[in-house]
Amino acid sequence: MSSDYPGRDYVSPFDERVRLAEPLARRPATVSGRSVALIDISKNRGAEFLDRIESQLTQAGAVTSRWAKEIFSKPAAPALIDDVAAGSDLVVEALAD
Amino acid sequence: MVSLDGLTAGGAALLLFVSEECPTSAMALRNLGPLCRTWDQAGLTATAIFEDPLDVAIRVARRTGWTGRVVSQDPPYETSRAYRLLSVPTSVLVSRNGDVSGTVVGWDHGALSALIDQAGALTAGAALTLPPPVEPFWKPGCSSKAALDPDVAAAISRSDAADEMEEMFERGWTDGLPVVPPTRQRVEAMLAGADGSASLGLVPPSMGEATLERLASCAVLAGCRPAYFPVVVAAARAMLDPAFNLHGQAVTTQPAGQLIVVNGPVRRAIGLNCGMGALGPGSRANLTIGRAARLLVTLLGGAMPGMLDRATLGHMGKVGFCIAEDEEASPWPPLHVERGFEPEQSVVTLIGSDAPQSISDHRSRTPEDLAYILAWAAASTWSTNWWPLVEPSVFVICPEHAEMFRAAGWTKQQLREFMYDAVRKPAGRLRRGETTPIVSAADPAADISKWASPDSIVLLVTGGEAGRYSAVLGPCTGMGAHIVSREVESG
Repeated sequence: MSSDYPGRDYVSPFDERVRLAEPLARRPATVSGRSVALIDISKNRGAEFLDRIESQLTQAGAVTSRWAKEIFSKPAAPALIDDVAAGSDLVVEALAD
Repeated sequence: MVSLDGLTAGGAALLLFVSEECPTSAMALRNLGPLCRTWDQAGLTATAIFEDPLDVAIRVARRTGWTGRVVSQDPPYETSRAYRLLSVPTSVLVSRNGDVSGTVVGWDHGALSALIDQAGALTAGAALTLPPPVEPFWKPGCSSKAALDPDVAAAISRSDAADEMEEMFERGWTDGLPVVPPTRQRVEAMLAGADGSASLGLVPPSMGEATLERLASCAVLAGCRPAYFPVVVAAARAMLDPAFNLHGQAVTTQPAGQLIVVNGPVRRAIGLNCGMGALGPGSRANLTIGRAARLLVTLLGGAMPGMLDRATLGHMGKVGFCIAEDEEASPWPPLHVERGFEPEQSVVTLIGSDAPQSISDHRSRTPEDLAYILAWAAASTWSTNWWPLVEPSVFVICPEHAEMFRAAGWTKQQLREFMYDAVRKPAGRLRRGETTPIVSAADPAADISKWASPDSIVLLVTGGEAGRYSAVLGPCTGMGAHIVSREVESG
């Protein structure tokens, strides 16, 4: 069970801790009656895209709420994630340009 | 000899004999690997028995997603011989009392499914998950090392038979170029007694923890001398400052890289080039310090192009981009002094930056003409009609150009303000294609500058003493990425 490479004790540049992939949440059969958070990541024309999605979701019976990240290039603030998670069943995030 | 003790406690054990060099072995590990955890819960223990050294076995198991146990055999591969192996992969089902209940040679989806069904019968009748029915359903394996003459097997397993440089590529410890293998001895020399477990923080986007030891490993891989390491550490600290927004820079589709500017006595002490070819090849210190910093982002941050680095084009400065200012040739206070440090401090400054665009000017005879030429070269950086730029544009002024400003007594601020005033267009002429909300909202006759303010212009002096070629490096735009400086700590 020993290595055949006794002179080769390398130091890994990686963080070797294994990260397990988060499973995708179950997809609902319908959006009717669900609260849907629409998050604008603050990229150009993202709001335009969300306007159209919102209109379709409303027609389908969903209750929507609008949120926005401070800037597209940084992770969302923890408070924003907490608020969205607490008040919504579903989330749509818009990436646009 | 691999012991079966404990492996059959749940009712049965599946032994998968494999070898690193065998593609069919890799396929078997990939196809069966994800199932091992569920099998284990049902009482079937799956073990990959490698005819390779343990470090190789662990690496291959990780790469292929094998979730079962891993063991390694030394020559002459007694376990393989005990099971009379001729080729790998070979799957052997062993019952609780150690008897062989079935064997499948090579990759044979049908036979393996039957073998796993058989295992289910041995483990209290549990239905075990079968490998997915994906082609190829059958593939022959490779010769087992146990089938070789023992002396031959021992000879091909010796460390000097392997190619260490190629192994670095196999491990993924590279930015695409050959690297210096980070042996413990080399990494310890890089650390020079520092505590390798000290953490510099998490490296975005994948948030690997940058311990000093891992950074030292990156520095060895990059080809740094130990004397460069304090500069690498300072660069890493600056990059990991949230104000620099490495997260955004690392994953963007923009080409931007991380420009490292070094000031102070350390430039001369470690031989950083701030003379001829200051932005180009030839200097080990410049090239390897820049590369080490980028390896940190690529390996610990996971920002490998095509993976989490989503750059459409990228640029060669993303291999590594470290320059030093020629403070002695400059008529102005150096960058670090402008940023509040003392001249005798050694400082690293990080700037998110695009590739350099050369600016030739051998004909200007007044500082006004030269400043105009330099400034207008930046007019189309980022995008032709994207005015004004907020993030910093970096002008690298060559010594001959700098001399003209010195002779005329121009200060840095004077030059910045001249450039800011010189590059202007009416908003109406900027409304084509990609443009800014400021241009869209402005009166068509309103003058718009290329920069939001003179402070968006960074001026550095470096380069060969002959030749009138300066350069402008466009900004990394829209990231909220600020310039960050850190002092180089000695020892």
